Amino acid sequence: MTDLTMLGVALIILTLSAVCSFKFRPAGLIGAIVALLIGLNTCNYFPYSIFVFLIGFVNLLSLVTLKSEIKGVDYALVGLMTLATMYIFNTSDFAFVLAALVLVSVPTYILVMLREGGANVELGVKYISFMVLATVLFLIGAVILFYTKTAFDGFLYVLGYVMLVLGLCIEIGVAPLHEWVPDVFASGDPIPISIIASLAKIVPFIAALWILVYTACDLTGSITMFTAVLAVISMFTGNIGALTSKEPARVLAYSTVAGMGYLLTCLVVVSKPELIYLALTGGLLFLFSNAAGKIGFFNAVKSEGAYSILMFILAFSFIGVPPLMGFWGKLFILITLAEMQYFWLVGIIVLNSVISIPYYVRLASELGVSWEANLSNLICLVVVIITLVTVLFVPVEWFFSSMEAIAHTVGIAVLK
Amino acid sequence: MNMLILLLLPLIAAFVAPLLKPKAATYLSSIVFLLPFLAIIGCLFNGCPSKVHLMTFSPPIGEFYLHFDMISHAFGLTICIVSAMIALYALPYMEHRFKEMELNVESEFRKYIFLYDLYAASMLWLVYSGNFVLLYVFLELTLITAFLLIYTYGYGNRKWVGILYFLWCAAAGVLTLAGIVILAFGNNTLALDVLLAGGKVSMIAWAFIFFGMIIELPVLGPHIWLPWAHAEAPTPVSALLSPLTVGLAGYVLLRTALIDYSFIETYRMPILVYALFSSIYGGFSVFKQTDFKRLLAYSTVSQMGYVLVALCLGPFGFVGLVIQYMSHAFGKSILFSSAGGIIAVHHGLRDITKMGGLHDSIPQISNAAVLGFLNLGGMLTIGMLGEFFILRGAVETFLKPGSPAFVTWGGGLALILTMIFMFILSVWYGFYTVRKVFYGKPKDTKRLEISSYLYMPLYIIAIVSVLLLFPPLSTALIQGLNAIPGLGLAGGVLSP
Repeated sequence: MTDLTMLGVALIILTLSAVCSFKFRPAGLIGAIVALLIGLNTCNYFPYSIFVFLIGFVNLLSLVTLKSEIKGVDYALVGLMTLATMYIFNTSDFAFVLAALVLVSVPTYILVMLREGGANVELGVKYISFMVLATVLFLIGAVILFYTKTAFDGFLYVLGYVMLVLGLCIEIGVAPLHEWVPDVFASGDPIPISIIASLAKIVPFIAALWILVYTACDLTGSITMFTAVLAVISMFTGNIGALTSKEPARVLAYSTVAGMGYLLTCLVVVSKPELIYLALTGGLLFLFSNAAGKIGFFNAVKSEGAYSILMFILAFSFIGVPPLMGFWGKLFILITLAEMQYFWLVGIIVLNSVISIPYYVRLASELGVSWEANLSNLICLVVVIITLVTVLFVPVEWFFSSMEAIAHTVGIAVLK
Repeated sequence: MNMLILLLLPLIAAFVAPLLKPKAATYLSSIVFLLPFLAIIGCLFNGCPSKVHLMTFSPPIGEFYLHFDMISHAFGLTICIVSAMIALYALPYMEHRFKEMELNVESEFRKYIFLYDLYAASMLWLVYSGNFVLLYVFLELTLITAFLLIYTYGYGNRKWVGILYFLWCAAAGVLTLAGIVILAFGNNTLALDVLLAGGKVSMIAWAFIFFGMIIELPVLGPHIWLPWAHAEAPTPVSALLSPLTVGLAGYVLLRTALIDYSFIETYRMPILVYALFSSIYGGFSVFKQTDFKRLLAYSTVSQMGYVLVALCLGPFGFVGLVIQYMSHAFGKSILFSSAGGIIAVHHGLRDITKMGGLHDSIPQISNAAVLGFLNLGGMLTIGMLGEFFILRGAVETFLKPGSPAFVTWGGGLALILTMIFMFILSVWYGFYTVRKVFYGKPKDTKRLEISSYLYMPLYIIAIVSVLLLFPPLSTALIQGLNAIPGLGLAGGVLSP
């Protein structure tokens, strides 16, 4: 069967399991896992898809602790997001890339409202307003950029570039367009928020990178400074916000803002497509470690603490201590910036990494408790194992080679 | 036995030792460091393979391998013997500390020994890392393990001190990482052998690495964290942190200098003056301290000034740097352990004003401390060779006509006299401290019972430091160092 047929089968299983879950709730979870396994089996670039699968799987597992009114459907929604993320490298068709963006974004509109004993509509409205704006900006920006590829116009290119980047910034929560992040993260239920903070960030990043590389022109080199400045603002805003916040969920919100600043720096690579594999490796390893950390910490917030050693390992990964996954993400981001000769940005990332240390250590000590056998600790243990995979070094090289292959196959196909 | 296997033993022991009883875990930890120590001694005489391949990374990271040369061996044997001996020393000390903290001795010892072994093994792997990324990984692993040891078992406001230490050293680490990344940009690899064979270190990469490592070293200014961390860490950790860990910054600077010396050549004079000032300031600060461990911490600031001075002094200075690391490590591990011995026997006594005449109650510790200060002062121990090579480096650099850094006789002599004053200062504060702590009018003349674990390991370290002054060990070591391109007699333009 072709990849597309298998994707269809996976989607049908997701839909049926969501329907069945109204009668038999575990059906939603089982169906989602089966669909993800089918996806894993058919996706290209196993090193990438296995990480996405694991993140999706842990997200699904964490939903077990949430007693929402749409139990079963939420599994299907997370399954759909994971499938869209896993398949993003299976195609060089931009229509699919944009569809994947929407497929990852829209389920979060429902997820954000989930809470025990009802729906958090007020929060949902606030979140959806921002996300719709983000998606519209992103899509219009992308369309304008595609247009300039065939009929170049400098003004339109800059307009499209700015709209797309601003759309991305709102979508993933980059300052100064991060207004929704602290409120939503602090008021929402920690479990759906952990999904928004983890899985939902991957596709927007890849989509933006692909589109910007594909539409790059002579103006790109000078306009990347716009992205770099936004990244710097986000790093400082996020880290200072996290340092001055006390509530763990709010600290995590600002940590996301700072983290997305680091991620955004990867976009400076768009004027040198031959280096895209470095940015992809850095950005994605960073996103995976961010996802693992956010899932662990938000689950700890939900269960009012998790095993302290696990909390500290996640904090160290966020700080970028080697050989944890967070380090490799930052390392490849820094290598990308050095290759692009953005040495000043390297210095700012270094400074921000240091600023972030106190609040991550504080977070780990506040959320760290003694060991207890429960689902929250199990989830934290799984995400810590994901974070520790890079201790063996070989997985990093494996992932890096895979990104080189993606850059050569998908990237070249896209650039044609 | 294969060096790779021997270097793996301490890492494996970190995971095995926690499964054993404290005494067995201690012996295991000590043996796994003694075995590579003996193997390195064998390498001094018989040589050993120059590298062991681990894995190949895509550019710009390059090959991961273990790099074996006399610099690594010199650092490696120091780390091994000090770690092995301090592991033994820690058995009664940490039991005492756990009881003091009202913790369960057996269960806490499991956590402690895991962190201790991992900490010491990380330092050992750092000096054999043949790739800057691998080196950075172990540099940060030493930071994390030391942080956790201070945070969990330290004295005073241990959590605050732990975070202070972590913050400063993490800042040092990431600055260095930035330098390493920029180094990769220029050379498309971070493998040491390729870089040594013709790599270039840009000024910006050098600047990041240099400023990162002078925080870690540390010299005057960024030294704020050091007195706190070294004083409040549990003593076995202080006895690794001060003697071994901080000096590794010197190792990183030396490796970078051997790739490309241009940064130091360009800024030689300001760096040298700063290093001398830092060392002398640190030396004088010793006299102001009333806490014995803090006093030793300031002595570390002074001694690390030597390392930075040596870095500025070309090929002979590099040999001096390596030997200075060794002598300081031997001396300071003995001295911190002596301070710990006093704490253990005299129920937490650290205040020098309440000491005096302790030789009467604990002569074993007192004599060991004298041997420690002899190392710092460069007398009758390997420290003598360190000071000789530093001075030879100064003469070759500043007084030899034709040297790129040649200065007038007056200027050169002034610099050399300042260095000699720096050496004298160490002897001065050494004897001042010995007199103040161990001699003078005793407060209690009663001989106290003391576990042999608290002093015997210190004598073994002292014996090694003396043996290394004499042939055949000293000759093998110096000849090995002289054979490395860029060092000593093999240093090129500055060689006689």
